[in-house]
Amino acid sequence: MTNAPAPADIVRAHAEDAYAAELNALAGVDDRPRPPSWRLSPWAVTTYVLGGTLPNGVEITPKYLGSQRLVEIAVASLATDRALLLLGVPGTAKTWLGEHLAAAISGSSSLVVQGTAGTPEEALRYGWNYARLLADGPSREALVPGPVMRAMEAGILVRVEELTRIPSDVQDSLITILSEKTLPVPELNTEIQARKGFNVIATANNRDKGVNDLSSALRRRFNTVVLPLPDTLDQEVDIVTARVRALGTALELPAGLAELSEIRRVVTVMRELRAGVTQDQRTTIKSPSATLSTAEAISVMTNGLSLAAHFGDGTVRAQDVAASLVGAVVKDPVQDRVVWQEYLETVVRNRPDWKDLYRACRDLEASN
Amino acid sequence: MAEVHILGIRHHGPGSARSVAEALAELRPELVLVEGPPELDTVLPLLADVDMVPPVAGLVYAVDEPRLASFYPLAGFSPEWVAIRWALSIGAGVRAIDLPAANTFAMRRTAATPDVAAPGAYRPDAIGILADAAGYSDPERWWEDAVEHRKGGPLDRFAAISEAIAEIRATDSRPAEHPDVVENNLREAAMRRLLRAAMREGHENIAVVCGAYHAPALVPAGFPAAAADSKVLAGLPKAKVTATWVPWTSHRLSFRSGYGAGVTAPGWYQHLFAHWMDQDRPVDVATTWLVRVAHALRREHLDASTASVVEASRLATALAAVRGRPSPGLAELDDAAQAVLCDGSPLPLAVVHRELTVGQEIGNVPESVPTLPLAADLAAVLRSLRWKPGALEEVLVLDLRKPGQLARSVLLHRLQLLGVDWGVPTETGRTTGTFKEAWTLQWDPELSVALVEASRYGTTVASAAVAAAAEQARDAQSLAGLSALLSRCLLADLPDGISAVVPALAERTALQQDVAPLLETIAPLARTCRYGNVRGVDTAGVRRILDATVVRACVGLPTACAGLDDDAAAAMRRALDAANDGLALLPDMPPGDWRQALAAVAGSDRIHGSVAGRASRLLLDAGVLDGGEVAARLSRRLSLATPAPAAAAWLDGLLSGDAALLVYDPHLLAIVDGWISAVDEEVFDDVLPLLRRTFSAFSRPERREIGEQVSRTGSSGAPTAQEGLDFAAAAPAIRTMAGYLGWEARA
Repeated sequence: MTNAPAPADIVRAHAEDAYAAELNALAGVDDRPRPPSWRLSPWAVTTYVLGGTLPNGVEITPKYLGSQRLVEIAVASLATDRALLLLGVPGTAKTWLGEHLAAAISGSSSLVVQGTAGTPEEALRYGWNYARLLADGPSREALVPGPVMRAMEAGILVRVEELTRIPSDVQDSLITILSEKTLPVPELNTEIQARKGFNVIATANNRDKGVNDLSSALRRRFNTVVLPLPDTLDQEVDIVTARVRALGTALELPAGLAELSEIRRVVTVMRELRAGVTQDQRTTIKSPSATLSTAEAISVMTNGLSLAAHFGDGTVRAQDVAASLVGAVVKDPVQDRVVWQEYLETVVRNRPDWKDLYRACRDLEASN
Repeated sequence: MAEVHILGIRHHGPGSARSVAEALAELRPELVLVEGPPELDTVLPLLADVDMVPPVAGLVYAVDEPRLASFYPLAGFSPEWVAIRWALSIGAGVRAIDLPAANTFAMRRTAATPDVAAPGAYRPDAIGILADAAGYSDPERWWEDAVEHRKGGPLDRFAAISEAIAEIRATDSRPAEHPDVVENNLREAAMRRLLRAAMREGHENIAVVCGAYHAPALVPAGFPAAAADSKVLAGLPKAKVTATWVPWTSHRLSFRSGYGAGVTAPGWYQHLFAHWMDQDRPVDVATTWLVRVAHALRREHLDASTASVVEASRLATALAAVRGRPSPGLAELDDAAQAVLCDGSPLPLAVVHRELTVGQEIGNVPESVPTLPLAADLAAVLRSLRWKPGALEEVLVLDLRKPGQLARSVLLHRLQLLGVDWGVPTETGRTTGTFKEAWTLQWDPELSVALVEASRYGTTVASAAVAAAAEQARDAQSLAGLSALLSRCLLADLPDGISAVVPALAERTALQQDVAPLLETIAPLARTCRYGNVRGVDTAGVRRILDATVVRACVGLPTACAGLDDDAAAAMRRALDAANDGLALLPDMPPGDWRQALAAVAGSDRIHGSVAGRASRLLLDAGVLDGGEVAARLSRRLSLATPAPAAAAWLDGLLSGDAALLVYDPHLLAIVDGWISAVDEEVFDDVLPLLRRTFSAFSRPERREIGEQVSRTGSSGAPTAQEGLDFAAAAPAIRTMAGYLGWEARA
C-alpha cells in the first residue's frame, strides 16, 4: 500500500496511483453494498475495469477491453472468497487485469509473489530474520512475513504471478491458505488467520510447456477464468492504440500516433500469422513458433514510436516498425525465418498499399 | 355481457405457463380459447389422453397437398398446453382461435413467393422485445424478474403486460401494406370473429390465451365493428385441411417451426417450470440445476465434486448480484459451471449442453390420434408384411429370393429414399452372394417426425418415394450421386422414380468432362438396363444414355489414365473394375470399343502401373490377351530397368482379386518368382508392403497353393501341376459338381 504520493519521475506507477482519481470518483458515487473490507462494490469494480460514464459525468477509462462476462465472473469469484485463477496465453492481459482488480478492490496492487522456477516456500509463507532468530530465538519479531501473510493480516488481495512456474511442492503450500484461510507457524506454535477481504489472484500461462501443472487439490480451490485473445481486428487495434498511447505518454515520447494505419497493419500481421490464415480467409499461411499476442503488438508499436521520435520525424512509418516486427515474429532463427519469408512474399507483397512495409522488411533482410 | 380475460403469453415460456396456471385457477372460466388454427378443435380433446406425452405438435396440413403443412409444437412448459390440459381436466370448453389454416394454406399456395406468408415471420416475440428494451438477453429472465416478482395476482400481471404491449404496438411504424402487418390484421380479425361467436353463445366467463403481441387487439372493449372484421376476412381462398398430433422432441423445439421462433434452451425451461410448479421443494432452482450439471459431467467421466457444486452455486449467486439480477439465470449458471466445474474450459459444458440445456425428451401420441395418410399407408404395408417395428436395435438378414423378404427390402429402400432411416444397410458378413441383404433396424420415435416431414412428398410410401427421388435428382450435385440414386430407385423398385432420374442423368452425363465419374455411372446404368425391364422401367431411354456414356468413356479413357498419382490411380482402377462389371451384365453390348480402350491403357508404358496392370488383367479375363502375351508384358514390366515400386503396382493391378491366375499359370508364377528373387535388398524393402497387400487379399488356401507351387518350382525346377491326376478317384466329386451345375451326369 502506497502511503506517500508517488514521485513524478517513476517509470511506471501502480494502478491505484495512476488511476487514483477514477477510483475516488467511483467511491464517491458507489452506494451499493460492498463485501467486507472491499473499497468498492462489485458493480463499481466492474465499471472501473471495463470503463463507463458515472452518473455525475466522470468518465472512467476502460482498462480491459474484452468480454464483460469474463470480468463479471472474475469479480464475482473474488466476492465469494474463492481464489481467482486467470489463465491465458502470454500477452492476454492476465497480469494487467489482476493488478487492476487488486487496485480497485483492496486499494493496493503491490503485494505480489512473482512465480519462478526458483520461488521458495518463504515467498508464499514467511521467512526469518536470522540475526534476530539467533539472538532471541524464535519469536514473532524474528518472523519476516511474505506478501501472502501480509495480505492475510491486512485483509486485502495478494497476486501470485505465473503460478504454474512455481515448483509443485511450493504451490501446494497455498492449499491450507486457500481452504482454511490460515497460515500455521509451527515454530511459534501459532497461526495467522486471514482477515475478511483476503483473497488470491493467480495468473498462469496455458501455452508454456514444461511447467508444473496445478494439483487437482489446488485447482479445485480456484475459479478459473480463461482470458482469450481479442476476437476481432478492430478490438485488438483499439487495445494496442490505447496501450501505446498510454505508454508513449509515460515514456514522454514526443511522437504522435497520427498513423493509426500502422497499428492496424501490425495487428493484422500478428493476427494473420497467429491464425495461420489471411484476414480474407483466402490464403493459408504457416504460423511461427512465437505466440504473437496483443502484448507483442504493443511492444512493436512502442518500439516504432520510440524510433520515430528519436531518429525520424515523429511519425511512425513502415521502416520504424519493420525491425521490431521481424524480431517479434522470428523467434527461431531457422524455422520462423522461413515462415516470415513466405508470408512476406505471398501476402505482404501482393497488397498494393503495403508496398512500403514490404520494402522496409526486404531492406532489413539485405542489411542482415 | 360475458366476462373476457385476455392472458397474453410468450409461446414456450415457462413463466407464462405458470402465470396462466395461476390465473385459470383463480378465474375458473367456462371456456378457454387458445391461439391456434380452429381446425385443431377436433383433436384438442386428445390432449387429455394418458398416452399423450409432451412434447407433441399439432400438425395441420392440406389434404390434397400435404406439402402445405404447419406444426404447432407444445411442450410441457408451454402456456397453451397448460391451458388446454386445465380446461380438459375440469370439463370446461376449449377451442383454438386464429385465422383458419384452410385460408392460410390457400393463400400460401397462391402467393408468388411462398416465404412471405411463411409461419413464424409474422409472430413478433413481444415479450422478447420488452426484455430486450430492459437489457435482458433471455426473455424468460426478464419475465421472471419483471413479471413474476411483481406484487399482486396473476391477473394484474397480464394486465400490465397487455398495457406494455399496447405501447409497443403504438410505436410500430410499418406501413399498412407491409406483408407482416396485413397478415397480422387478418389473423387478429379472425381471432376476434371467433371470440365474438363464443360471446354470442352465452358463455359468461371466457379466458383467451394468446401471444402477448395480440393481447391488446383482443380486448372486447376495444373491438372494431364486426362488419369491419368481416370485410377483412371476406373472400379469402380456402383449402381442405385436416389436423392431427405428432410426437415432437426437445431438440426440435429448439428449431424455428410453425409456432414462431424456437426456444434455445427447452431443457432449462423444463427445469424452471418443473421447479416452479413443485411448491414444496425448498431448494433453489440454481442449485438443483448445478447438481444436474455435475451428474451429467460425472457420467462423462469428468470430475465434479459436491464441494465444487456448492462453490459454483455461490459463484452463480454472486454473479447475479454483480449483474444486478434478483436470481441466477442460465447465463450465470453456465458461467459459474464453466469457471468452477470445468476449469474455465467451455468444452465440457458443450458435452452436457445437448443433454441438459436442450433436453432429450421425446413425445408420444396415443394410438387414437388421426394418422397421416403416409403413416397410415406405412402401417398398412407393415401389416400386410406381418412386420412390427421394434425400439431395440436388431440386425435383419433378408433373402431376396423369397417374395416376402424382397418386399421388406423394397420397403426399407423406399423409406431410406424418404429420409426415414428405420433400417441402415450393414455388412452381410462372409458371403459373396447378391441375394442377401443385411439391415440394422431400430424404430426411434424421431422417425415418426421424419415420417411427418416425408409426408410432404406424397400420401403413400411408393408415391412419396418417387417424389423424393425426383427432388433429389433435381438437387444432385454430382454424377456419382445421380447414378447412386438410380441404383437406389432400382433397389426400391420404383420405375417412376427411375424415369424421373434418367433425364437429369442424361443432362449431367452430357456435361461431364471427367472420365472416372462416367465410368462409375456405367455400372448403375447397366444394372438398370439389365434388370429394369422386368420391373416396368423404360429401359430404352436408359440404354441410350448408357451407349453414349460408354462411347465417351472409351474415347477419353487413355488420356484420362495418363499422369495419375497413386491415389488417383487407385480411384481409376476401381472405376475400371466397376465399369467392366457393369458392361459384363449386357452381353448384347458390342465390346469392341471398351476392349480397344483397355488395350490402349494396357499397352502404354507411361500409364500408372496399377491401372495398366488392371487393364491387362481385364483383357486377359475377356480372352483378348493370351497367357503368353501377358507373360511377356509381365516380364517387361518386371525387368530391372523398371523402378521396383512401379513394377509392384503393375503386379498388384494384374493379380489383385483372385489368385487363380498365379495358381494355374506356372509360367506367370515363375516370372513373378524370378523377379522377386532378383530385386535388390533395399528395393525389396520398399516393394514388400505392396506385395503383401496384393497377396493378403488372396484366401488362405490360395496362398498355400501358391506357396507349395513355388517350393516345388524351386526344388525340381519344373512345373509338376499336370502329374499324377487320378481321374477315377476324382470322378464322384466331379459328378456331384456337375449335378450342382445342372449338367447331365454321363458317366
